[in-house]
Amino acid sequence: MGKSFREKLIPYTFVLPALILLALFSLIPIVIALVISFTGMDITGLGDLSQVKFIGFQNYTQLFKDPTFLQSIFNTGFYVIIGVPLVVILSLTVAILINSGQNRFFKFMRLIFYTPSITNTVAVAVVWTYMYNPSMGMINNFLGKLGISEIGWLTDPNVAKYALIILAVWKAIGLNMLIFLAALQGIPRSLYEAAELDGANWWQQTWYITLPSVRFSIFFVTVTTLIGWFQFFDEPFVMTKGGPLNSTNSVALFVYQNGFQNSNFGYAAAGSFIMFAAIIIATLIQFRLQKKQQGR
Amino acid sequence: MKLKKAMGYGMVAAASVLLLAGCGNSSTKSSSSGNSETLSFWYGGDADTAVKPIIKAFTKKTGIKVKVQSIPWSQYIDKTLTATASKSGPDLMVTGTTTMPNSVASKSLMDITSTVKSDQALNPNKFFAGSEATTKFNGKYYAVPWYVETRVLYYRKDLLKKVGYNHAPKTWAQLYDAATKLSKRGKDMYGFNVDAAEPTFGFMFARQNGATLLSGKKTQFNQAPMVGALKYLNKFVQNGASPKQDLKLSIGQSFGGNGRVPMFISGPWMMQSVKTDAGLKSSQWGVAELPKGKANNMSNTGGGNLSIFRYTKNKKNAMKLLKFMSNKENQLKYYKTSTSMPTLKAAWQDKALSDTNIQVFRKQLNSSQPMPLIKQWDQIGQNYLKAWEQIALNNASVQKTMDTFNQQTEQLLNK
Repeated sequence: MGKSFREKLIPYTFVLPALILLALFSLIPIVIALVISFTGMDITGLGDLSQVKFIGFQNYTQLFKDPTFLQSIFNTGFYVIIGVPLVVILSLTVAILINSGQNRFFKFMRLIFYTPSITNTVAVAVVWTYMYNPSMGMINNFLGKLGISEIGWLTDPNVAKYALIILAVWKAIGLNMLIFLAALQGIPRSLYEAAELDGANWWQQTWYITLPSVRFSIFFVTVTTLIGWFQFFDEPFVMTKGGPLNSTNSVALFVYQNGFQNSNFGYAAAGSFIMFAAIIIATLIQFRLQKKQQGR
Repeated sequence: MKLKKAMGYGMVAAASVLLLAGCGNSSTKSSSSGNSETLSFWYGGDADTAVKPIIKAFTKKTGIKVKVQSIPWSQYIDKTLTATASKSGPDLMVTGTTTMPNSVASKSLMDITSTVKSDQALNPNKFFAGSEATTKFNGKYYAVPWYVETRVLYYRKDLLKKVGYNHAPKTWAQLYDAATKLSKRGKDMYGFNVDAAEPTFGFMFARQNGATLLSGKKTQFNQAPMVGALKYLNKFVQNGASPKQDLKLSIGQSFGGNGRVPMFISGPWMMQSVKTDAGLKSSQWGVAELPKGKANNMSNTGGGNLSIFRYTKNKKNAMKLLKFMSNKENQLKYYKTSTSMPTLKAAWQDKALSDTNIQVFRKQLNSSQPMPLIKQWDQIGQNYLKAWEQIALNNASVQKTMDTFNQQTEQLLNK
């Protein structure tokens, strides 16, 4: 089997450009951020690095005493727990429905559901801000016609989180639907034909054939969606700035506010590392579960 | 299995990319400080149309080319920070008066004391004291004042007349009385806007009530003057004379038409918006000096300064441009293109500024101060907004909220 050294080298040359980019733009910054998170670096330190002091774990201990941070952890958890299952279930449902027919109507629906995901979040968020406007917005106007009184979509602390989730789910369905659709179309027809011969109805076919066949897609979508929702940022950044009463602040936004508005770089870096750890842990747990399922 | 593992690593890596992407969207492009021929000038705002004529005149006169880069204010601080961290940025830049302490602390700006002291044209006495104060830190000058703004009361003359006011409210008591009467016009009608998105708002009223915000590293946010001022403001909110939160209305919807919010406090930049977007006749609205509190009617000074980037390789030409832009003729030219008010006292004798509305701002400048010029003030302002939210939305106890806020601030200052 003696492969020459050169032959062994070839595959690496293919991945090298990607590796260099990865190192330059994510691995090295991550290491730098880790170092910064143990310092009290602020705006003065930026101009004069000799003023930066190492303060050990002080940033981390302080973070867990900061009610704003704790609230934003809670909010992020809320986004993840409500948002991720909603995205997975809805996009799978939409994909199954669209896959059930082939004519123009179904193709058109595919377009309709996909469109939101090709638009820019910031632009969409601005438009939704208008729609959510308490007195002039389209949604409240419409609800008013049905006799429902004004809802402070972005101004009521109890509602604002849901308002952001609705927007984010609406936007996330398209892409994930496409992934599911591809998986659904890869299921061999013969499986359904055999089941039909055995007298299985539509529900049974969906439950015993469709869902197990797209298991890997479900896993993939769950992981990517989960990571995305852990970093929930654009929507609250554009629409609520984390308010009212901090009810929509996410960890990512908290990091931004501390790093780029208050210039507490050390503190912000510590916050981002907690988020980093949380994402890795959540992903690892999912891989474990996935492995277990496959071993069964 | 291997593929999945690889994919896992890929995803973790992708996650970290996103993580970092989420943290910062600032990129440093086109910083041409290495090129000694062309000057680079950073300008805060969405378009450079207002400064273009001045820059063109400068190039014509001196032959020095200038590249203007306009950066929206919302990203201006990000951009400046990145420029400082990478030590490459513009040659000359506009620095907002409120960000001066930060930019000085991060050593982004060049110390220009010697020029300011030796050059008659830049003599600090020629500028408004409130503006000059924002350029001087520890006895050294880091900028030259360029334009100034202060806040005044905008009010609907016609609507106030209907509730018995032939002039703008002159005292706190009148302001409250007029606002309450105006709010009784019907559902969703208010009298005055207690601005829940403006980080200087409560502090401004506190000063009018006799507060010294900061002495040394001690803050006095939980003392009677500030607490009293916030209680006064909260009265508007709790009695429906002011909206609790930003109504997210355009100026035409809030101030124009039937005037849902017929009085608000803002700076000169709103003049143009009201003129063009509110659809009001000039007899229907006006501006007035702020109503007087127990102590005074102190407003909040802001504006922009011209400063030289510390790492410029083009100091001589940058200084030339700075001087050119801050002379009287060009400050007036800038006023005409942008309605930003000149900082040179002499410029105010010009006919261009004889407009009665602008003169109100001029008078208000006599009673106007910038917010305390310390690097932590940005964060203090943001924390104030959060504290105010607790008061306005939850009707939390003002004294208790301010006790917490004061303690939080002192921790911040002593860090």
